[in-house]
Amino acid sequence: MNNLNKKVKDTITKPHKKISLKASLSLAASALLGTSAVTAPVSHAKPADEWQFDSAFLVYSEVDRVSATEAIIAGTKTFANDEVLNLKLTVDVLTGASANGAIAQPMAQTFTRPSGNGQYVTPAGETPLDDTFKDTRVQVNGQWAQPLSDNLTGSVGGHLSKEYDYLSLGANGNLAYDFNRNNSTISMGLSYFQDTFTPEGGIPKPLSSMLIGDSSSPDWDTEFAKTRIGDSDDKSTADILVGFTQVINRRMITAFNYSYSMVDGYLTDPFKVISVLNFDGIAQDHIYENRPDSRVKQSTFMQTKYHFDESLLNSVADVSYRYMWDDWGITSHTIDTRFTLPVGAASYIEPHIRYYQQSAADFFQPYVIGEQAKTAFVSADYRIGEMTAVTVGAKYGVVLNGGNELSFRIEYYRQMPTDAGFVDPNGLNGLDIYPVVEAVIAQVSYSF
Amino acid sequence: MKNKRTVKVSKIKDGYSVNFNAMASPCEVLIQTQDKRVAERVAHCVSAEVWRIEDKYSRYDSLSLCSEINNSDGKKVDIDEETYLLLNFAEQCYQLSDGLFDITSGVLRQVWSFDSVSGECQHFPQVSEVNKRLCLVDWNRVLYDLHSITLPKNMELDFGGIGKEYAVDRCILLVKELTDKPTLVNLGGDLAVTAPRDNNHSWHVAIEHPDCDAFGQRQDMIVALKHGALATSGDARRFLIKEGIRYGHVLNAKTGWPIIHAPRSITTVAPQCIQAGILATLALLQGKQAEQFLTEQEITFWARR
Repeated sequence: MNNLNKKVKDTITKPHKKISLKASLSLAASALLGTSAVTAPVSHAKPADEWQFDSAFLVYSEVDRVSATEAIIAGTKTFANDEVLNLKLTVDVLTGASANGAIAQPMAQTFTRPSGNGQYVTPAGETPLDDTFKDTRVQVNGQWAQPLSDNLTGSVGGHLSKEYDYLSLGANGNLAYDFNRNNSTISMGLSYFQDTFTPEGGIPKPLSSMLIGDSSSPDWDTEFAKTRIGDSDDKSTADILVGFTQVINRRMITAFNYSYSMVDGYLTDPFKVISVLNFDGIAQDHIYENRPDSRVKQSTFMQTKYHFDESLLNSVADVSYRYMWDDWGITSHTIDTRFTLPVGAASYIEPHIRYYQQSAADFFQPYVIGEQAKTAFVSADYRIGEMTAVTVGAKYGVVLNGGNELSFRIEYYRQMPTDAGFVDPNGLNGLDIYPVVEAVIAQVSYSF
Repeated sequence: MKNKRTVKVSKIKDGYSVNFNAMASPCEVLIQTQDKRVAERVAHCVSAEVWRIEDKYSRYDSLSLCSEINNSDGKKVDIDEETYLLLNFAEQCYQLSDGLFDITSGVLRQVWSFDSVSGECQHFPQVSEVNKRLCLVDWNRVLYDLHSITLPKNMELDFGGIGKEYAVDRCILLVKELTDKPTLVNLGGDLAVTAPRDNNHSWHVAIEHPDCDAFGQRQDMIVALKHGALATSGDARRFLIKEGIRYGHVLNAKTGWPIIHAPRSITTVAPQCIQAGILATLALLQGKQAEQFLTEQEITFWARR
């Protein structure tokens, strides 16, 4: 009974006191400022808890080959105690043709589709492309970051990516430590991915010959199954990243990263073959490629951003360089430069140039001759061959009334494989063994 | 004393930013408009108003009205309506705080030097020194009416606790007359907005963490504000430590001693900046009970200890 009385008393007296201080102050302020009193006990502010969204629509189209259409929506929400939640959904659709690894020949060539169901013919003199490439990928990423103490920020994230024949699950954790009046940050991150590949038609037996013939014959399926070793395979990836960011002054910021990545498991591309030629350069056979089941990659990265003053129109230069090397013998250099130039009051234009140079994996070969190397690792996948690639493009962004940003990006990509230096058999004269790949990338983004 | 008075108007992402220095603080006005003339007019009016208030009520400026009153030797000084209204407001705060908030407490600063950067005790006053000044702190002895004020000899007025917040509110009124474009007025961290940003978006305001030690600084807290004002009281750089007790910069006008166990800073929101400022200061004056005080008053606040 006493408790109840106290409760009743509290509810009667406390609100009264509350209103009296706020109301009195409100009246006093109104008298001072000559405004009408705002007596309602309103509080107009709250921690920033609105969602901030970024959306983008991207088209990537290779000349005569694959094209990809991608839609992204990402939302970021900041909570009262500086926790940040970021969710991102990506959907992309791939269609078109993809190089199967075999080389062009002076005559038409017939290949079996990866599924084993049907065949396709590549005309004479053309690079063989498998035109059944079609896939839809849905990717979900979530990241949660929060301050752990005054100088320490932690974050954890998850990743799920699903394609018709591919599943990737990942998790990551990062720690960032700020010091030197927040001008320096050391960060460390770990991530782990587990991928499962379930290609239609199963996993081909490495170095076995692609079965070509009448796929409607009664013993086709039995014969095809002999070139398979299973329905699915998987790989795991563990990455360690160490980073250091330093604010040099109010105009300049630099970052250095080092990453160590271990990939184990099925690293072969089940869709890729390699041509087996006779000494005249005529394909006798196409064997499935074979790659090592582990790869250790390391890379260093440095980036500098510089914000120029009015004399250079308040532009921002962003230059980065990455050096990557792995135990497959691949090394690569990437130089990426962007220059953001404000145009007028609320828009900007951003030219972009990227230069990429890569050396070939030790086991890369555009083709094999005779019985050579039928037991070793071998791949004719142009993506692990020696190449130079250049991307040139520009982005135009405009801030609309209300602060939302709309931007357009258009880029041209050109990938130029380097002749691996083999003495090509005469039969290959006049054929393009190292075809150039060109692509156009167009993107529209909207942040709101 | 007076630095070069310049106003800088610069284009930012979705409007204009006006920057100038006044009241020993960096001041900033953000206007969400693409019309430079509007921005320049606002810049001119706001900076002029802030400097006018500074010139009139700064106790550091020997030419100010405040100095004239403080040096009046107990004689009557003529005042205008604005000053009368400010004194009235100070009177109300004195009453509401039960004497804890007193604009005559400025003399105590003669014995409390809070500008120690390291926080080490460089000069810790004797009880007798404090008491000597304490007899000069008593708002009840100040006589004023609509036209004049009489301040007893050796006493001092200090508008520092309300001047900046008052200037914010005055500027908001001025801006509202000039334009209906969303505008934010920020005078050294005490700020108010005229309206939400376009599309009813909030203004995002970073509240600086008071701890600015050489070894890092916590990331600023972000607050979203659509209407009204926000003010912060407390400053970690102004404190003394003696025998393990940290003395904050807010002085108890009744004892002459700093409030202990108070949060290092409190940020509150209210319809007007002057209310937010007083609420934050009154809360700090509650010491250990600061948060409880604000919670009971159902006031939105952020406290940092």
